[in-house]
Amino acid sequence: MTQEICRLLVVDDEAIVGKRLKQVFSKIGFEIETYTEAAPAMNAMAEKPFDVVVTDLKMEGMDGMEVLRRVRSMNPRTQVIIITGYASPETAELAQEQGVFEFLAKPFRLDELKQVIYRALAQQKGGE
Amino acid sequence: MSLFSGLKKLPLPWQRRGSAAHCRPISLVFSQFRAVLKANNQALELIADMGEKLSGEYLFDQRYVDSIVEELIGAMHRSIAAINTLTENRWTSLTPIFAGLEARVRAIASHRDDREGPPILWLSEISSRDWPLIGGKAAHLSELMANPQVMVPEGFVITTRLFHDLIDHNDLRADFARFEKLAAAGDDQEKELEALRASLEQRMLVASAPPGFLVTLEAHLSRLAETSSAPLFLAVRSSAQEEDMDFSFAGQFHSELQVLPTPNAVFAAYLAVTASLFGAKALRYRRQVFPEGGPLSIAACCQRMVSARASGIIYTEDTMAPGRQIMLVVGAFGQGQAVVEGQVPTDLFRIKKGENPQLIESTLAVKDQAFFAAGPEGGLAAAGVAPAKAGEPCLPEEKLLELARIAVHLEAFFKRPQDIEWTVDENGELSILQARPLLLTERNQEKKPLSEKLSTYPRLAEGAGRIAQQGIGAGPVFKVETLADLKRFPEGAVLVSLRDSSQYIQVMQKAAAIVTEVGTPVSHMSTLCREFKVPCLVGVPGIYTMVADGEEITVDAEDRCIYRGRVTELLTYQAATAMNVQMAPEFRMLRRIIHEVSRLNLVDPLMQEFRPEGCKTFHDLLRFIHETAVLDLVEIGRDERCLHGQKKLARHLALPIQAGILAIDIGGGFAEDAPADNIPFSAIRSKPFRAILQGMLFPGAWHQVGMPVSFADLMHSMLSTPRDALSGQYTGHNIAIISDSYVNLCFRFGYHFNIIDAFCHEVERDNHIYFRFLGGATDIAKRSRRASLISSILEAFDFSVRTRGDLVIARTGNLVQSEMERTLDILGRLVGFTRQLDVQMADEAAVSRYSEAFLMGDYGIVAREGGY
Repeated sequence: MTQEICRLLVVDDEAIVGKRLKQVFSKIGFEIETYTEAAPAMNAMAEKPFDVVVTDLKMEGMDGMEVLRRVRSMNPRTQVIIITGYASPETAELAQEQGVFEFLAKPFRLDELKQVIYRALAQQKGGE
Repeated sequence: MSLFSGLKKLPLPWQRRGSAAHCRPISLVFSQFRAVLKANNQALELIADMGEKLSGEYLFDQRYVDSIVEELIGAMHRSIAAINTLTENRWTSLTPIFAGLEARVRAIASHRDDREGPPILWLSEISSRDWPLIGGKAAHLSELMANPQVMVPEGFVITTRLFHDLIDHNDLRADFARFEKLAAAGDDQEKELEALRASLEQRMLVASAPPGFLVTLEAHLSRLAETSSAPLFLAVRSSAQEEDMDFSFAGQFHSELQVLPTPNAVFAAYLAVTASLFGAKALRYRRQVFPEGGPLSIAACCQRMVSARASGIIYTEDTMAPGRQIMLVVGAFGQGQAVVEGQVPTDLFRIKKGENPQLIESTLAVKDQAFFAAGPEGGLAAAGVAPAKAGEPCLPEEKLLELARIAVHLEAFFKRPQDIEWTVDENGELSILQARPLLLTERNQEKKPLSEKLSTYPRLAEGAGRIAQQGIGAGPVFKVETLADLKRFPEGAVLVSLRDSSQYIQVMQKAAAIVTEVGTPVSHMSTLCREFKVPCLVGVPGIYTMVADGEEITVDAEDRCIYRGRVTELLTYQAATAMNVQMAPEFRMLRRIIHEVSRLNLVDPLMQEFRPEGCKTFHDLLRFIHETAVLDLVEIGRDERCLHGQKKLARHLALPIQAGILAIDIGGGFAEDAPADNIPFSAIRSKPFRAILQGMLFPGAWHQVGMPVSFADLMHSMLSTPRDALSGQYTGHNIAIISDSYVNLCFRFGYHFNIIDAFCHEVERDNHIYFRFLGGATDIAKRSRRASLISSILEAFDFSVRTRGDLVIARTGNLVQSEMERTLDILGRLVGFTRQLDVQMADEAAVSRYSEAFLMGDYGIVAREGGY
């Protein structure tokens, strides 16, 4: 992971999530873009794909499930991680079908997310 | 000296419960008691959960804050309902008391806490719970004021409460709300925003004071004038809510200096400051750096003007070359306003940082102009400086170094590089006018990512331990082996130790970081680290032997790395990161809420404030409810009338020592096949109770032989023991209330009185021990010595301890089950060891002698020195 710079996209309607993740991941050398709305985030994704997308589930307008669907159809290589305070088993199941990499319940330890992202990147590499 | 002042008289059981009390089935009482314990534990667990989130290790959002507040309030209601069920509605008075506490927390959660409180607060009387009312600058000043190493001109704050009153009183609320909405929105309604802004600014300048305010203001001004030797003038400066916190807002708001000390003049200056919230400059700045908005209100700091000989600024880092351990001082003669606004030529000094700073460079200007007080009507005016003096340094070297030492201290105190405004009066007295975080920008030429730069530094630990408090700190290692080492702790050092200890609080203001080999992020020490914002890693294996005293290390308690040497890139990175996570609105809100819920003021049922009205926080209420429930249960257990016809409730223990304990099992405390009475140790299933008994039964810890008590000692005890506090409820027997994971043990040995209340199971954050010891058969000197013996032993086991005469109150908690059992075992030994020890406490030396013996496991000292 030292050579290639990983591109990370964060979508969460609460600004603090993006701010915190920007701080944490740019420090360890990620290229990170953060959005509080899904639509502009999807535009950014269309312009230049990201390696990993971290998205909130419940958002006004386009929600996390829709983000998942669009990202996977735009670029199946991109791994999607959904972070949420509440996910019903039905939603979780549906997300699995749509190819989510992992669900993470908020609040979580930043280190947990880091580990999940590393695993996502490792799997991505293995899949190539 | 009134020894028991503060101790209350406990009503006797038959006074507490009406004689007509009917009797409920004991099984019902037990289940009601367990319901109290359960609700209390739920609430305490939620409080612990919130505390842990503040470490910075977690990502949480507003939704988390909202939902946990609701859950906690729900648990509190259940707890209050449960105690009323158990006591048959004897404590309905808890409901209105909780309503007040709940309202306060809800005000914080709904961002309304800047509206509730007094319109004026003295700087010296501000506590952190007032912060929402006073804005960032005043909050920092009040912290400085409480710091004995720093002089701050006295004064008061006109709070945001008055700001809101002013808005309402002058019918500006609707416009203000609209303004806030537009300021946070995009750019499409610029015209309307600009018109609103200008109109609010104008109307604020001529606003009329809410009724009664000018009278209050006058009273404050008179009090300030009384304590002022020179003619009083004021500096009225803005303190906006966000000011000096996330963003500097430096120079964005209005200040007025040398204001006449009359209510009208100060109010006019205050209005000018307040109106500047709506200034074009401030709005532009705010939207630039704080685009997602959030309501802003403004307070004003009114302080005595210092008649300044020289003033200026000190940066604790060179902003052009951060990380080089160089501080910058800029100064000029007279008042400092001219310096910060660049109106006069200034001297520049560079000082090498360290415990003993050194002046390494002086660049002197010809300072032919300076600003001084204009005259009796107030205001400042420029005046010429005599040519012979103009070229001299504005401060002599010794003053510069004194300033530098204060700056080093403040950097350690606030844990970040600081931008400090200083002034020196005609007598050479140095005062601090302001201290705020110094924002550094990483130099552009160094494009390499931080992670690459970091890879060149040797790492002592990587991905090790848990984060107790997030942050980055660097400094020389100071290893702490015993608590006595703390006395020598140098400013800005990194504390490294084997175990964590709440006693480290003594040096937290000086410590750059703390690293321990053992510890948990929910310990008392971790909580304190969060309060003092000391970067802290706990549970880093082997670190103690890896580092040497005095060696510089850098602790990154974000990525859990420890580097050898001073990693300037990391420190610069920290200072350059515009948003300090601790200052994010969600963090601040959670911190305020925790402040309201988790402090424990109500420590002991024997103290006068131990009543519903004494409850200041949620935790106080929970403590009150718990103690009340225990008392109630013990009382029911002793009430012969209620036990009539029911299975024997209090059962004797058959132990090899004569401890005379009766135990009441409320569920799972005894084995199912335990005998109806005379229960052997082997049949005890209660985890905490078993651990304590194990300690009491430890070979040598329990002394069977009665000690000879002198006649004088006996007389003393008969005359001075507070009968109503000590006798009554527990006479005759030692009673334990037990369940599988709980014990409440009341000992009444001779003339002393000892309680251990403990919860112990596999969930570590539920676990707690509360220990209380009081009294004795000897004179107060001996009894107090035994109390200090007990407290020194408990401190060694990291209890937080309070003593008062012969009363010892100690608490610990959040320990894993095995650690809990070990600690309870020690308590059991301590109970046995100290049982009759007051007799042997002939002099002060005995305290440390016996305490060392106990810690070494030498329990035989009691028999040896007792001569039997």
